[in-house]
Amino acid sequence: MFRPNFIYELKQLLRSKWLLLLSVILVLLFGFATYNGLNKVEDRKTIIALAQTETQGNDTKMLKILDSLEQGQQVSLSPWELPSDPVVVGSNYPRIAAMPAADFAFLATGQSDLFTHYKKPKVYGGSIIEDFTEMTSPVQLLFGSFDLAFVVVFLLPLLIVAFSYNVLSAEKESGTLRLLAAQPISIRSWVLQKLLIRFFWLSVLVILSLTLVLLVFGANPFANLLNLLSLFGLVISYMLFWFALAFIVNLWVGSSAKNAVALLGLWIGFVLLVPSILNQLGTTIYPMPSRTLMINELREKQGDATKRQDEILDNYLRDHPEYAVNDTTETRSFWHGYMASQNLLRDEVKPVMDRYNNQLKKQQSWINRFKWLSPAITIQESMNKLAGTATSDYENYREQVLSFSQEWRAHFMPFLYNNREFTKADYTELPSFKYKVSKTTSVGALMIVLGLSVLVYLLGVLVYRKKTTNTILTT
Amino acid sequence: MILKTFIKETKELFREGRVRISLIIVLLLLGVAVWISARQYHTVNEQYITAKTTERSVWDDQGEKNPHSAAHYGTYAFKPKYPLALVDQGVDKYVGTSIFLEAHNRNDAQFSAAADQTGLARFGDLTPDFILLFIIPLLIILLGYNSLTKEHEMGTFSLLKSQGISFLKMILGKWTALFLPILLITLALFLIAGMVLSRVEDFGVFQWDALLTMCLIYIFYYAVFTNLVLIVSALVRKSGVSLVISLSVWIIACLVTPKMATNVANNQHPYPTAQEFATNIAKDKEKGLDGHNPWSEESKKLEQNVLAEHGVDSLHQLPFNFDGYRMQKGEEHAAEVYFKHYKLLKSQYEKQSNVYQSLAVLSPYLPTRFISMAVAHTDYGAHWDFSDAAENYRITTQKYLNEHFAENSDYGEWGWQADADFWKELPAFEYEPRTLKSTLKTHKGNLGIIGGWLLFSFGALLLTSKRF
Repeated sequence: MFRPNFIYELKQLLRSKWLLLLSVILVLLFGFATYNGLNKVEDRKTIIALAQTETQGNDTKMLKILDSLEQGQQVSLSPWELPSDPVVVGSNYPRIAAMPAADFAFLATGQSDLFTHYKKPKVYGGSIIEDFTEMTSPVQLLFGSFDLAFVVVFLLPLLIVAFSYNVLSAEKESGTLRLLAAQPISIRSWVLQKLLIRFFWLSVLVILSLTLVLLVFGANPFANLLNLLSLFGLVISYMLFWFALAFIVNLWVGSSAKNAVALLGLWIGFVLLVPSILNQLGTTIYPMPSRTLMINELREKQGDATKRQDEILDNYLRDHPEYAVNDTTETRSFWHGYMASQNLLRDEVKPVMDRYNNQLKKQQSWINRFKWLSPAITIQESMNKLAGTATSDYENYREQVLSFSQEWRAHFMPFLYNNREFTKADYTELPSFKYKVSKTTSVGALMIVLGLSVLVYLLGVLVYRKKTTNTILTT
Repeated sequence: MILKTFIKETKELFREGRVRISLIIVLLLLGVAVWISARQYHTVNEQYITAKTTERSVWDDQGEKNPHSAAHYGTYAFKPKYPLALVDQGVDKYVGTSIFLEAHNRNDAQFSAAADQTGLARFGDLTPDFILLFIIPLLIILLGYNSLTKEHEMGTFSLLKSQGISFLKMILGKWTALFLPILLITLALFLIAGMVLSRVEDFGVFQWDALLTMCLIYIFYYAVFTNLVLIVSALVRKSGVSLVISLSVWIIACLVTPKMATNVANNQHPYPTAQEFATNIAKDKEKGLDGHNPWSEESKKLEQNVLAEHGVDSLHQLPFNFDGYRMQKGEEHAAEVYFKHYKLLKSQYEKQSNVYQSLAVLSPYLPTRFISMAVAHTDYGAHWDFSDAAENYRITTQKYLNEHFAENSDYGEWGWQADADFWKELPAFEYEPRTLKSTLKTHKGNLGIIGGWLLFSFGALLLTSKRF
């Protein structure tokens, strides 16, 4: 029975122009989304490259000045701009701590419109609390971006719903169901076969159109085969989930219109309501402490540190006897007191900052515990991770930048407290930043979504058992 | 005929399970959303008041200090929340709530709530505006998708025809039956919101006229959706197809077009990155006077001019401290630079707004969203307004501090300190949001578009009634 069913279905698809329509829609949606995603990645790359060239230019200038200084020549710079001063190098010639785009960054905007992709940690002039947010129009953040993840998570299920809501009911409504019942196949297997065939064709279409679009726009999809396979795996398992829902609804509910209402209700539930309710609960159970009150707290600490600058410097030097030994001049400038108090302030601020990071981590783990409630969340998250734009990626980047920033400051402290000048030879010793990507795998997400699909299918079988063929035919 | 159709349709609607269930679900969601938002509103308001008073006392109790040190120490402007934010949270989640006001620099608002949340937050929040903008239109679709198709399906259409009825009247009856429950829900909702909000004893005066405007905009929005659903239902024969098409309209209007609009707007009129913006400002600042640098060319020029103006030949002979004077001049230059760059940014945003407005012909959602946010003082425009007000306050504060320094100390006297009581004399930062009238004026375009949608969809509905 499978063969005639398959052939019939294929003929019907080809003749009803559904296939053509679907292909056009898919290519348009994927095309526009990929175009947007690649545009964003291109912008990101240009911005980082520009910053890097600028740094290189500044470095060349600095080396020239250092060279002149070391040869005893005059330079046309004010005394507080001379790179022989370590604080000047640390503040005016910062390194770029960039987060380059991952291979598949075009896949999902994720949090990439919210956070910046490069920072320049400085010895002086930066804020105590580094701000990692990007300058984006909040309207843009509110509406979100039209990316591949949006097409897959939000729109693809709707195409599936439109493609499969009336598999059984259409037969009933056109009166061919009775003919069908006369065939040697149970209604359940027949619906299952029909949906499987549609699932097969839609999967083929999705994979072909996606690959085609990627090739046309010049995003080489085969550069990272593992990512590509993960992407296809995620998309297909997500589609399988929606077909499983269509299966259960087709067997359970009656008329075409009611089926459509039921499936759309499920779509609203899984894609819109569950994520927002989960998020709401997460932020209610693990609320972020107030940032406005945090400002008050920091200000008091800051005021205190400024008032006690001399005392702090004394304590600092007591803790670092090596500076007292190596430095015979014992000169103390503004910087000595300032850096010591800043160091203290940073130490004091750290627990405050940790409160926020910990709370965010708690929220994330709470969501991880319940994300299986909606495959939409699971798929969106996995696609963000494939794109390297997930919350965890930015958290990871933030931590790396903060530790680099500490390394950068620490690098100049011996210069400052030993009253040593920065020389040309010291240039090569400057620390540099390289972003380390955290490894991710989509296997867990795949398992969740596949498991859910199987669960829904089994539920469908159970529903069918309760509802005998008789009632399907008569009501 | 209109009345009879209306009564019949209404009876039918309320006898059906899906209507009751969906109404209950929507009301339940709305209840939860309002409860959550109200809680947030209260805590945020309390925090705002604490933060504001604490920050002021931090400023007042600085002790004896050089005014310019105090200027560097700076102060904060906190953004208040207004009562209608409870109904529409707009972009509040994505903009910072506090601005650091210091010497020489204009800072952006810091700490947006979205940056402190997980990626899940980007799916959207369960807030009243989510229900009003997304779910209620869906409810309209659910109630009305088969309003006319069922006449075909049940075979009652030919019966109706044989009665010789006016289809225009029938459609009007069906329209009323579909729209009235939505209208009643909306009115009840806004009435309750008004009663609750007018009792809230916080700052920020609640205005009934603003609430009424908002309510009207939503009623227009729902009327447009009612028209669209009925047009679709009149044009197709099968309920299932009608539902799928109506839903596609909803998806295009509420989900696809807004997202498409952001991509188009950002491609055509991109924002600079935070780093670029800062670099451009720094470059422009360097071109002018730096208040901290007495050796620069600009400083020398200023020196000469001031000496010539007062007819003296040494800075010590001036009747004021030239250090303070130069600091103020440097401040004025920096303010000009910031003004220029923020104006550029604002013009970029205005161009983006135009893109949104031109795409609003595809989506009644866009103009409704923009007007609703604007009336609630939670749109980007309101944020700009606040940030500009904070900048003005920063500029006047700097002037006040620099002049105090210049008038009371002698040239070169950097160690001079102002009295501990002096800080209290600085006027506090007061911010008045824009009036409803001026908000509506800036949204004339959006008002026109939603009006156009209303007229156009009504016209199309009347035209389709002629098809029968």
